[in-house]
Amino acid sequence: MELKDIKIRHKNFYYPPGGILMWIIIFLELFTFGMALVALAFSSKENLQLFHESSLHLNRTFGAINTIFLLASGFFVANAVHNFKEHNFYKASFQLKIAMLGGLLFIVLKSVEYYIKIEAGYLLDTNSFFTFYWLLTGFHIIHVVVGLVILFILNRNITKTSIEDVEASAAFWHMCDLIWLLLFPVLYLIF
Amino acid sequence: MKKELTYTFALLLLLTFATFLIVNLPLDYFMKKCLILALFSVKFLLVTFQFMELKKSHSFWKISTITILFIINLIIIIS
Repeated sequence: MELKDIKIRHKNFYYPPGGILMWIIIFLELFTFGMALVALAFSSKENLQLFHESSLHLNRTFGAINTIFLLASGFFVANAVHNFKEHNFYKASFQLKIAMLGGLLFIVLKSVEYYIKIEAGYLLDTNSFFTFYWLLTGFHIIHVVVGLVILFILNRNITKTSIEDVEASAAFWHMCDLIWLLLFPVLYLIF
Repeated sequence: MKKELTYTFALLLLLTFATFLIVNLPLDYFMKKCLILALFSVKFLLVTFQFMELKKSHSFWKISTITILFIINLIIIIS
């Protein structure tokens, strides 16, 4: 009965999975990051060669592995939501832990990448490409950290949490996924 | 449903791998850019519609998501 109710409510304009407020946040975030990438693309027109050479200094393998970490993490969060709906709290909690591990691995690899960039002298003020790189990936990693805190709190209170809160937390985590899916091709691959 | 998620995840991994391969192909810049963005768009839609269960929501949310994706892609392609 409970599952049926949830399915019916999602067709309602005010109740997308995760809630209307979360989806407003998701759209605003996507719009903000999207516009920043558009600014990057227009800025590249002034000196395409510089953007191309700067982009070559980014480690594409690291970027691809990080994409896999976040996608795997999102997959486990999506499964955790389903298990939560079926009242398999133990399984849901286990999957949330794996999802958090994926997020942590993302942060570790990104930190390694940052360390390599700093050591090589590619800083925020090196050129306009690296200004975009540091700002965009920096803001994204802040979202990942916030997402991890949300998942951690969700996992701690999994038996006492409502389905709306679980879906909203999952939606925030998937948003981190989406932003990275947007950043990865534009920063690492296109130029 | 869980099987569907597994298939989606497998497809996402495949598309990520394909994106990685396309970068190394000897294609011209514009073609490469379009292909990379096309693959990104498919991944984006798979995450939103399958993982975030947007497919169950009101059509307003589905259309808005596709519109935002289209606008971002279009501006990046023409820039």
